[in-house]
Amino acid sequence: MPKHDTPLMDELEKGPWPSFVTDLKRQAETKPECWDILGQMELSFKDRITHWKHGGIVGVFGYGGGIVGRYSDSPKQFPGVAHFHTVRLNQPSSKFYSSAKLRDICNLWEKYGSGMTNMHGSTGDLVLLGTRTENLEPLFYDLTHDLKQDLGGSGSNLRTPACCIGSARCEWSCYDTASICHHLTMHYQDEIHRPAFPYKFKFKFSGCPNDCVASIARSDFALIGTWKDDIRIDQDAVQGYIKGDYKPNGGARAKSKPFDIDEDVLALCPTACMRMKDNKLQIDNKNCTRCMFCLNMMPRALRPGVIKGASILCGAKAPILDGAQLATLIIPFVEVTADNEYENIIEVIESIWDWWMEAGKNRERLGETMQRLGLPTFLKVMDVTPIPQHIKIPRENPYVFWTDEEVPGGFERDIREFRKKHAQ
Amino acid sequence: MALSVDELKAAIIEKATKAPKPQLYIKDFYACDADSKPRVIKNVANDLVKEGKLMFWSSGSTTMYALPSRIKNEETRPQD
Repeated sequence: MPKHDTPLMDELEKGPWPSFVTDLKRQAETKPECWDILGQMELSFKDRITHWKHGGIVGVFGYGGGIVGRYSDSPKQFPGVAHFHTVRLNQPSSKFYSSAKLRDICNLWEKYGSGMTNMHGSTGDLVLLGTRTENLEPLFYDLTHDLKQDLGGSGSNLRTPACCIGSARCEWSCYDTASICHHLTMHYQDEIHRPAFPYKFKFKFSGCPNDCVASIARSDFALIGTWKDDIRIDQDAVQGYIKGDYKPNGGARAKSKPFDIDEDVLALCPTACMRMKDNKLQIDNKNCTRCMFCLNMMPRALRPGVIKGASILCGAKAPILDGAQLATLIIPFVEVTADNEYENIIEVIESIWDWWMEAGKNRERLGETMQRLGLPTFLKVMDVTPIPQHIKIPRENPYVFWTDEEVPGGFERDIREFRKKHAQ
Repeated sequence: MALSVDELKAAIIEKATKAPKPQLYIKDFYACDADSKPRVIKNVANDLVKEGKLMFWSSGSTTMYALPSRIKNEETRPQD
């Protein structure tokens, strides 16, 4: 029996898509506090303002992240959501877990929380929605002792590192994303569990330029798999696609007309670096930007090269200041190997942190600091020599600025001597 | 010369006590000792939280520090 009239919320059940309102009503049969979520949301729709208070001091002992405090500003009207804290659980790398583990997590959440979950949050965490402050410590004890799970990141912490499925199941992956994601999660436990930075900081690891975790759009530090040498071509398989023996794009291409390699692949290459000559596919690899389009279209015929590694990009963020920002390429190619315990990647990360912790303003993401102080400053800090790939557009400013150390002899001069020489 | 850990702890508590704002960002503590690295200051501030002398306040996206007596506690704050 509904506790509140929710005509506006009920509208959200009428579309053809699955409705969270229906889910909440079903959950309310065993967890009556879910009626109060619907009631409070209905009120928010009417008032056009949120009825959640902003933040709080909840957490578990020793941790400064992983729990997001949420309190209703109308607790008398909606007592079931007077406290409605969110708990973020660190997901396993590449999100490999058994159904038994998921059942255990759900049972734990039925015991201590509302039973509502969000799988997964945009950082990748398993998100458990809605519990009271007094339940947090017992929940954390059971979570860590019985389920061997830990909390994820929130606040000004390193957020839970996230990765694509990587070489565990994907033939395109240029490095083992799950391995580095797990390694850095363990290496940076202090930064994940306690605040360390001017604002949030996110790592994301994608095994190839398809970037299935959208690291280029969402992370301060994106490691995107790439290769240095030539795309590997199986000419027989290319002919197979042309003859229709294989389904292009793994069967996902629209079937309105037959596959045409000229129209469907060559003409759509962004740098026009492909051609058919004597019935053989040729790729001018120097001009390939690793967009993955041709590999996606003909996966049986084309594969990444054999010299594999990753590109490092920095500074993506969602819009708060100045709108959304994609990450900027900083280092075009690094080797990614567990043999050195990812030492070379850790070195880059810590150079970034050392600079950003000093130069970043409060609540300023790395990308905003980079934008404010300029890419040349960031490259200098990172000790990276500028390359053409760092340039977004050709210069419009005709002046060339030289620093003191770039000019032989520097800028020091005897101005009187100079004027003597150049006086009219 | 950088302050010792104990001196830094005292400086951080003094800052948290006297600052006009009751809740401070970690960067606000950097001024407690210009010679200490931000990472050292962060570690000392987090130690003070473990000792119960400071508390974390978090909006979910960012985290601030405050003395227990000055923190904005949503559970005890009157309804808006």
